[in-house]
Amino acid sequence: MKKLYSNKGIIFSLVAPGLFMFTVAILAPILLSIYYSFTNYSGIGDYWFIGIENYTTQFHDSVFWRALKNSLFLAIGFICIQHPLAVFVAVKLDKLQGKAEGIFRCIFFIPNVISVAVIAYLWKFIYNPNFGLLQKILEFFGYQGTINPLGSGTAIWAVLVVLIWHGFGWGMLIYYTGVKNIDPVMYEAAAIDGASGTSTFFRITLPMLKPIIQINVTMAIISALKQMETVYLLTDGGPGNETQFMASYLYKQAFSSYKYGYGNAISVIFILICLLANVILQKVFQEREAQEV
Amino acid sequence: MNSVLSKQSRTKRGIWIAVFIVIAFVQLFPLIWLIDFSLCKSNDLFTSGILVWPEEIQWVNYFLAFRDGHFLHYLGNSLLINTLAVALVILISVMASFACTRMHWKLKNVVAVIMVMGMMIPIHATLLPNYVIYDRLKLTDTIWALLIPYVAFSLPQGYFLTSGFMASIPRELEEAALIDGCGVYRVVFIIIMPLMKASIATVDLNNWNEFMMATTYLSSDKWKTLPFCILEFTGQYSSNYAVQFAVMALSAAPALIVYIFLNKYITKGVALGAVKG
Repeated sequence: MKKLYSNKGIIFSLVAPGLFMFTVAILAPILLSIYYSFTNYSGIGDYWFIGIENYTTQFHDSVFWRALKNSLFLAIGFICIQHPLAVFVAVKLDKLQGKAEGIFRCIFFIPNVISVAVIAYLWKFIYNPNFGLLQKILEFFGYQGTINPLGSGTAIWAVLVVLIWHGFGWGMLIYYTGVKNIDPVMYEAAAIDGASGTSTFFRITLPMLKPIIQINVTMAIISALKQMETVYLLTDGGPGNETQFMASYLYKQAFSSYKYGYGNAISVIFILICLLANVILQKVFQEREAQEV
Repeated sequence: MNSVLSKQSRTKRGIWIAVFIVIAFVQLFPLIWLIDFSLCKSNDLFTSGILVWPEEIQWVNYFLAFRDGHFLHYLGNSLLINTLAVALVILISVMASFACTRMHWKLKNVVAVIMVMGMMIPIHATLLPNYVIYDRLKLTDTIWALLIPYVAFSLPQGYFLTSGFMASIPRELEEAALIDGCGVYRVVFIIIMPLMKASIATVDLNNWNEFMMATTYLSSDKWKTLPFCILEFTGQYSSNYAVQFAVMALSAAPALIVYIFLNKYITKGVALGAVKG
């Protein structure tokens, strides 16, 4: 059996399709991106190499920094608003028991299964200053003026609200699974020792959830960096470039401004930032774990 | 003492149920609003109420959305492309995770890392170069332009799920098969593969709703998927809001219905995938 399991031909044939897909769809495009990032290719016609000019342009491009700042804004929004709420709801939902628990869990997740295309168009209508749902709710409470959430200054908040609403169920569900995995014996022991609800939450539930919180925080930051589709349909980066993100900006540069080479330079930096974020987050969480042990 | 406690905890429970109802309301109300106005006339949107009771339910909106939105065409494409993508993801990731977790060779850890690398690469950073690649290979506007990236970017997740699940399959099972004279291929395809079905259903959610790659790599309607029901439709009926609402509700329906029926499995799958990831 050992011989059979170290047969190189068989091993190669088993992993070849996976490696092939990786090479064709991920590695090759990245290499091509690096190549084009050193050119002034517009998308059609001739082009020549211009060295690192695209990268220096990018360094001085205020929209690029704006996109990074927007990602940071989203990440902070997710971590400070969405996730505390999700943890809290998950913990309380676990205590509910019975049929209600399953029903609420099901409902909270519903926005998540609806495609971004529907979500973006729906919220465009909700935010519409003439007949949108938000406007009508405000009118219902006696508000006289009109508001345009997608206008200048508030657009990035409007985007954040949509993303929190859309992603809430996902985060909640993952915390909920974490809560379910906590051994009930721990709670019983705490109850016997006379611990109050609050101290049980902070002394037992929260520490036990730490690995899950780390995963969720990592995913929140990465998804804030990767944000594209909602913004692409909801605001298209506007007004001005207020809600531009790296992915939507590189797309716009390549396909609307015909700066294909420059778009690729943004792609390369974009990939590096995402890889870096992954490495840093892993390091941060590992070190903290090591310290506590 | 006991009755006091239970009374107190019962009011507490009541408060929490009230809080949950509020959250559920916030999560669902936009959708209720959507469905409400998809059954009205467009003019009803400009009345003052938050919700409107339609005088006569306008089923015609759904008829127009269904017919002019080419709902069945897009749905068919979505079903075909996603079924193929899931089948390929299962096949490729079971093969690779079997080789990397069960078999003996030097580079298996390197290959395992490569298999999950895709998770760290932002999918949209490959839009520009992939467009050029597919353009040169004359693959734009073919089903391959969607299948290749969909499979490639679902593989990391598929690999995670299958290699995690592989650990829970007892080795005795395959050893017995090997002693009986089965080859490695038969062990992988006939014994391991059928055990994996359940863990994979969730891989699909991302691709089902994907439209960025589709909009970049496809030019004609031929292979476009369900999200385009909305994206292509809104121009055609730009001033008829009610019909646009109907098309949104209609194209959200398939995933929603599947979710409501399979909600237990999907919930489990999401949790499993995320915790492993």
